[in-house]
Amino acid sequence: MAAGELEGGKPLNGLLNALAQETFHGHPGITEELLRSQLYPEVPPEEFRPFLAKMRGILKSIASADMDFNQLEAYLTAQTKKQGGITSDQAAVISKFWKSHKTKIRESLMNQSRWNSGLRGLSWRVDGKSQSRHSAQIHMPVAIIELELGKYGQESEFLCLEFDEVKVNQILKTLSEIEESITTLISQPN
Amino acid sequence: MEVSSEPPLDAKSEVTNQLVDFQWKLGMAVSSDTCRSLKYPYVAVMLKVADRSGQIKTKCFEMTIPQFQPQLLANSSLLSASNFYRQFKEIAAVIETV
Repeated sequence: MAAGELEGGKPLNGLLNALAQETFHGHPGITEELLRSQLYPEVPPEEFRPFLAKMRGILKSIASADMDFNQLEAYLTAQTKKQGGITSDQAAVISKFWKSHKTKIRESLMNQSRWNSGLRGLSWRVDGKSQSRHSAQIHMPVAIIELELGKYGQESEFLCLEFDEVKVNQILKTLSEIEESITTLISQPN
Repeated sequence: MEVSSEPPLDAKSEVTNQLVDFQWKLGMAVSSDTCRSLKYPYVAVMLKVADRSGQIKTKCFEMTIPQFQPQLLANSSLLSASNFYRQFKEIAAVIETV
């Protein structure tokens, strides 16, 4: 029984990393055989396959429920107690992994579920626009804003907008309404 | 004598558009097929923009709360530094002084 070789530590951490890349961060193509030969070369494929599936399932459950640390401990403890579950060493490795990768995985899950374009970047400059005709001068500063937008897994699209001062202030007023809405939302108990 | 300084066309986007309308909504993503507990609020924006020929296009996009204004959420990490609201405040401050 190769149970000893499936203990926690570096190989498991590497495995979890690879699983996260594939499942959450959109980098598939890490084959089961590659993982086995790199991380668990002594484990035969027919034993590795269910082990991989088990770890994948556990990681997906933790991420799907967005477990906090109490829920995580309870969940992992339950996994150590059940038939065909995990060892407490493995539980410790998984726990450490989730704690350090939780934010990044959540960010990926959020990006995956956004089907609209997301805001990838914003740059701007202000130009002084001057026109002189028959000595009358009109000074009209203009803000040029470039929005970088993009859908998950797709190339960016750039949108260039021009605003005069009046328009900038109108937008600012709208943005403060949005801020007010956000503050109301997050101050509500849920 | 006529002197006008047009802003140079950006290499990435060849057309400078005028904003005609800015609509927004605040949404909350609750759950999805890949994540049962998403629980994140987001700002969805719909812009109506007119290009130089007057043709109107609609552009939609979403921002997370940290992208809009990082200080609104206690635990937000500055993973994305767009900070939409603050940048507009800066633009307003600068355009006033030009």
